[in-house]
Amino acid sequence: MNGWILAATVALGGGGAAALWGVTTGPPARRVIAQNLTTSAFCPALLLLAQGYGRPAYVDLALLLALLGPVGTLVFARLLSDDLSAQDASAWGLTWTAAVLGAAAVVALCVAVGPGRAMVKLLVIGVLLIGGNVIASRALAGGFRGVRGG
Amino acid sequence: MADALIVVVLLLVAASATAAVAQRDPARQALVLSFLGTLLAALFTVLQAPDVGLSQLAVGSALTPLLIMLCVRKIRRRGRSKEDAR
Repeated sequence: MNGWILAATVALGGGGAAALWGVTTGPPARRVIAQNLTTSAFCPALLLLAQGYGRPAYVDLALLLALLGPVGTLVFARLLSDDLSAQDASAWGLTWTAAVLGAAAVVALCVAVGPGRAMVKLLVIGVLLIGGNVIASRALAGGFRGVRGG
Repeated sequence: MADALIVVVLLLVAASATAAVAQRDPARQALVLSFLGTLLAALFTVLQAPDVGLSQLAVGSALTPLLIMLCVRKIRRRGRSKEDAR
């Protein structure tokens, strides 16, 4: 077990336990925020696992999760909009903490990988992860009122 | 030592699967199911099967919750229109 896998274990265990606790208890707004936290905790963990196992192909999983995780959150934001409009579903402190953690993981991996195509791919994943996270949080907080209902 | 990661992920899978069954409301079940789908993809990656993890990620994180939520919404609407007709 090297340092990368240890960091992935901490990210999977800590982020997973926090997201599981949030997604099973509390009002609907908190559950959706915890569901969004799943993506931002597991995507850096998958990146760290790819580096820890020494298999760059595993990075594809993190790329797919960074693409599809916000899509899943937007599905809930759209279809649960009646429940969410009654409460304030914004957690900007958590959003930016998750974004900083994801950026830290991506930067550490970029330093380890060195310049090249793999580094460009890591940067693309980082931008997708943080951008999707911010967009999903804004949708949950009611930032896109124009697309409500339906 | 590398087994610690597998044990952590397996424990999380067991806890979240139990939680998904224990929820009463289908919409809340869909939320836990989305978490479980992403977690299963992580489990498959840890067990060195990333190809299975890729398909699990595509199906579990967005598609299954979308189908469940669409069904829930359709059923709620149908119940509402029947109540209006009475």
